[in-house]
Amino acid sequence: MDFIACINEKIYPLQSIIALSGTIFISSFFVISKSKAIKKFLIILASISFILAFYLNIYSFISMGDFSNFLTLFETVQMIEVSIILFSALNLLFFISIYKVDSNHFIRILILFLFSTVCAVFVVVARNFLLIFTSLTIFILAIFQLVTALNLKANKVRSYILEYFLRPTLTVILFFFGFSLFYGASDFKDFGQVLQLEYISNPLIVLGLIIFGIAIYLYFFLFPFQGPYMKLIRRGEFSSNAIIWFLYFPVGIFIFMKLDNLYSFFIEKNSIYMSIFFIVITFICIFSSSIGAFKTKSIRRIISFLFLFFISIFILNISMFSTGIISKSLVDWFNIANVLLILFSFIPICSIFSIVEKDTGSDSINNIRGVGRRNIYIGINLVIIFLSWSGFAYHIEPFINYFSGSNLLKMRAGNIILLIAVVIAFLFLMVNIFRIIVQFFRKPIGGVVEKIIFPRFFYIYITFFTLVIIVIAILGLLEVLNIDIGIINFKITQVYF
Amino acid sequence: MGVFGIFYSKNIISVFVSYQFIIISAVINFLCFSQFIYQRSLQGGIFIIFGIASIYFLMFCTIYYIYLKLDSLDKEMLCREFRLFKITRSDWWGEDNI
Repeated sequence: MDFIACINEKIYPLQSIIALSGTIFISSFFVISKSKAIKKFLIILASISFILAFYLNIYSFISMGDFSNFLTLFETVQMIEVSIILFSALNLLFFISIYKVDSNHFIRILILFLFSTVCAVFVVVARNFLLIFTSLTIFILAIFQLVTALNLKANKVRSYILEYFLRPTLTVILFFFGFSLFYGASDFKDFGQVLQLEYISNPLIVLGLIIFGIAIYLYFFLFPFQGPYMKLIRRGEFSSNAIIWFLYFPVGIFIFMKLDNLYSFFIEKNSIYMSIFFIVITFICIFSSSIGAFKTKSIRRIISFLFLFFISIFILNISMFSTGIISKSLVDWFNIANVLLILFSFIPICSIFSIVEKDTGSDSINNIRGVGRRNIYIGINLVIIFLSWSGFAYHIEPFINYFSGSNLLKMRAGNIILLIAVVIAFLFLMVNIFRIIVQFFRKPIGGVVEKIIFPRFFYIYITFFTLVIIVIAILGLLEVLNIDIGIINFKITQVYF
Repeated sequence: MGVFGIFYSKNIISVFVSYQFIIISAVINFLCFSQFIYQRSLQGGIFIIFGIASIYFLMFCTIYYIYLKLDSLDKEMLCREFRLFKITRSDWWGEDNI
């Protein structure tokens, strides 16, 4: 046991990566196999390794605490981020297994997927520029190959994949340029060290930060760069879309959170111009994504636009911080809560609509008309999941605290404009939700709609997400209403890292 | 020059040349700062080797893998009418017919 404990101590904090690497090693012996039994064995092995990695990640952090060296940093935030990536990877394994288990390339796809997850974990724990850059590059490469491999049968998608992945390539190049500027200005290779610099307002650092900002904006395909993303999602297989939604985007969010401290330092210093800039960007992103979702009739596009809407919420959090409505620790908590909200709502929604689309043959919103009447259980689950987005209203509470604490003369116009943006965004979100729900339960045009047969495992899967959402909603409501039932010893609406 | 080229050029090869301009400018930054300001070229040098190798690997794979399997019509489109940042109505809203 001492020997195992010694190894465990040596490889900390990379236990999760070791667990996944073991599965990659075992899978590599079966690459050319087409046997169904081996495929099933590898799916089970990969699932176990994900669960083991998830457990080891949390357990070792609780037993050993924070860790940092020249290359890596592993604190509470990193532990939560790695857990989120492993959780979403486990769900993605479910998507890939359902859609691609009959493919001849399934085991290769599985290895690529495990490798991209390892790269994603490396991106999260990296602190040195060299490791961040290298892992990000290899991660994008792995995701590109994975998406291409998942769309091998769809000939028309290839040029759209090319168009899509040229953007993250540009992001990587801009990161390289930004690192060169940071290195020149500070001789440091770590964002944390740059923050402690004496001459931090150096123009080279400011330029580097602007370049990082542009790079991340391009990475997320926010307005007006959303074209290639929409086109790929519209044409791609559902499994490849899920990879983009639940692996590509969360990693971008975590890179953005690495830069959070630097941005917040500059925001605190130059509040007015930065606030105006962020408020404008927030307005543009939120409105374009909401109107885009409202304008289209394709369900894939609606989900894609709503995804961009939730990505825009990260910019909203930054602008709320820039106008002094929320504190830095609350920004971190809002960001993590937003990632969790995205995962827990979009994963079941995507799985429901993928099966509905497979059954009806088209992704038009008119096709789902009446589906909820015949599949009542799935319909109710979908309504609960959609209504969980109304938790976005919690963004209004800091405004109420702010406005009730200050008199009318001291209120700044920026804060009022931001409040209007939040309220309108919330209204648009509600309109988009009710549009889908009403269509789901509306009377079908041609009389009776046939019942869609969902796999049995699917009911358990959806129920799990619904139950998690209900539990979180009840706990959150009790906290908002100040009722202490003493089940958990921390406030889920205010967690500080 | 790199950013201008990315926005302006209509040929995918020109876009990649523009990408290279940005990479080269970053390399010059690394070399200059490590050599002349900090009097040691090791750190900058290592970063350049890793950085350049991985970026070129990424770009090569992205283009070559897809390009080999494209139709001739699509290949011609890439060499004549390709724009990295198109701002047309369909590109703003993603509305296009399949």
